[in-house]
Amino acid sequence: MSSIARATRAQPVHLVVLALIGLVFVIGMTSSDRFATPLNIANVQDQMVALAIVALAQTIVILSGGIDLSFAGALSFLAVVFAALAGDTAGTLLIAMGAVLTLGVLIGVINGAINAYVGVHPLITTLGTSTILAGGALLITRQPSGSVPLFFEDFMYGRLGVLPYGMMVVIGLYLLVGFLLWRSTFGMRIYAIGDNEVAASISGLPVQRTKVAIYAVSGLLCAVAAMYMTGRFGVGDPRAGVGFDLRSITPVIVGGTLLAGGKGGVLGTALAVVLLALLANVLNFMNVSSFYQWIAEGVIIIAAVSFFAGKGKS
Amino acid sequence: MTAIATNVAATRNRNTVRATQRRELLMLVGFLAVIWAVTTLLSPRFMSPANIKDILIQAAPLGFVVIGQMIVIIVRGLDLSVASIMATVAVLSTSLIDVTPVIFAVGLMLGAVIGAVNGYLVAYRHVTPFLATLATMIVLQGVRFAYTGGAPGGTLRETFRFLATGSVLGIPVALMVLAVVAFGMHWLLERTIFGRRLKLFGDSPDAAYMTGAPTKLLQVMAYVISGVMAALAGLFLVGYVGIVDNWTGRGYELDSIAAAVIGGAALSGGKGSVPGVLLAALILVSLFNIVVILGLSIELQLVIKGTLIILAAAVYMKRSQS
Repeated sequence: MSSIARATRAQPVHLVVLALIGLVFVIGMTSSDRFATPLNIANVQDQMVALAIVALAQTIVILSGGIDLSFAGALSFLAVVFAALAGDTAGTLLIAMGAVLTLGVLIGVINGAINAYVGVHPLITTLGTSTILAGGALLITRQPSGSVPLFFEDFMYGRLGVLPYGMMVVIGLYLLVGFLLWRSTFGMRIYAIGDNEVAASISGLPVQRTKVAIYAVSGLLCAVAAMYMTGRFGVGDPRAGVGFDLRSITPVIVGGTLLAGGKGGVLGTALAVVLLALLANVLNFMNVSSFYQWIAEGVIIIAAVSFFAGKGKS
Repeated sequence: MTAIATNVAATRNRNTVRATQRRELLMLVGFLAVIWAVTTLLSPRFMSPANIKDILIQAAPLGFVVIGQMIVIIVRGLDLSVASIMATVAVLSTSLIDVTPVIFAVGLMLGAVIGAVNGYLVAYRHVTPFLATLATMIVLQGVRFAYTGGAPGGTLRETFRFLATGSVLGIPVALMVLAVVAFGMHWLLERTIFGRRLKLFGDSPDAAYMTGAPTKLLQVMAYVISGVMAALAGLFLVGYVGIVDNWTGRGYELDSIAAAVIGGAALSGGKGSVPGVLLAALILVSLFNIVVILGLSIELQLVIKGTLIILAAAVYMKRSQS
């Protein structure tokens, strides 16, 4: 129990990431006077919303010792379905939301059940479902199609001061999931399973059921991200999710959550998402091509992981 | 007495392992035969020699990659960087020189070096294989795009293209090379101490360490093999396509993992055979061809592929439990 308490509390890595955020911010301020404007700060937040939501989902799954690579296919599929159903009234929008959230949970339950009850490695399971869903999205439509109500699109672009509405949703979700991990039985079980699945099973925890629930939450968050992305695009893009499977992992790892599970939390992921989004923004201001940004991202992963290597299980 | 008993037990154990492997191979051959037969019934031109030759040539690059991927999976690893290696090697080595043997030599060296970096990170820095190779993948992607400025150019020599598309005595050169490499790797895996140690390490890293095997070096070697295989695949693929592209081999990282798993390699390590994964690669490439020949929507192959991955893994899982 004490190790779980320690796992959820602030850690040195959070300070490191926080310091890096400060450093990047200062560099940004000196490199362009357009950097610290409300418009750009809102822009940076818009850029991180979708990634922040899937990274949150990935954090829960990785904490439990699993991995969810289904986002690429799931996001695309859910985005297409959402845009196909959303129509242009509040009524159709509500139906679409209900359908997409249900589908998201269903996808997660299938992932979790194949992993927990059949025993197939989560990497293979979610790779398989992702491939199926990517195919499904393209079978529905090859071009971006469908629509969302105008007021929904406006809402996704709206903001209060420098805080976009999308970002408020993200903050709410992080607080909610953070509280779940910190205080609820479900959260304790996630850490226990990630720390030592066999021990958790012997202690009588419902490991299989908890795993299904974990992937279901992941699928639910994925559905929220899909709705946000569709709202921003205004159409359902059958390739909306491409790349999100691997991209969702970087912030989790940089934020100090161990890929082996059992250690880390949402605070690290939140900070890492901010760091990565700020870094990309500043590098753009400095006219560094995205090619070098890839190199930077890879080096950051290695640096972050090497930082934890040798500290406990890695 | 006990020594003899252990020996007998070991032999029996080895025989059951072999028998299981044979059954799994038969299953894969059976599956391939069924899908080929059904397709032939629906569309006779599938079985034309030209089409079969096409499938085999297209399967060659994936064949190289999946052999390397399997070796890495045997030592409980994973190589997500293979596709990035394919493209980077193809882009860099074809742009530097225009002499076919030198292109291959430089390309394979480059693949080996990248593989060694992966292996170093995994074995000596204790970075999870998933993350180490993910980072390599992203870094290589940046290097490649920065080097080409986003748009690689250049034409390929005829001699270079011949290796990928040409035939000698009616047999495609790419397939001959794949056959030689496959036999070599099969021999290495099943008949040498190195191969035994790879599998032993996958079964139990501690046991491998106790027997005095150089466990870190083993891991590095596995990633080096995977890097070299990916480099070879990249060169054959650009030779086949005829254009050097920054995204050459895109999707091969996941396809090769899928083929390795369908071919009987287990992510928990210690298990895998060259014939198995090659058959699985052939199945995956056949599926694509079948979907096209039958005039089905191309996206359908994604749905079939995904279902196949999960089903195969589930079947192997059930078998190993019983």
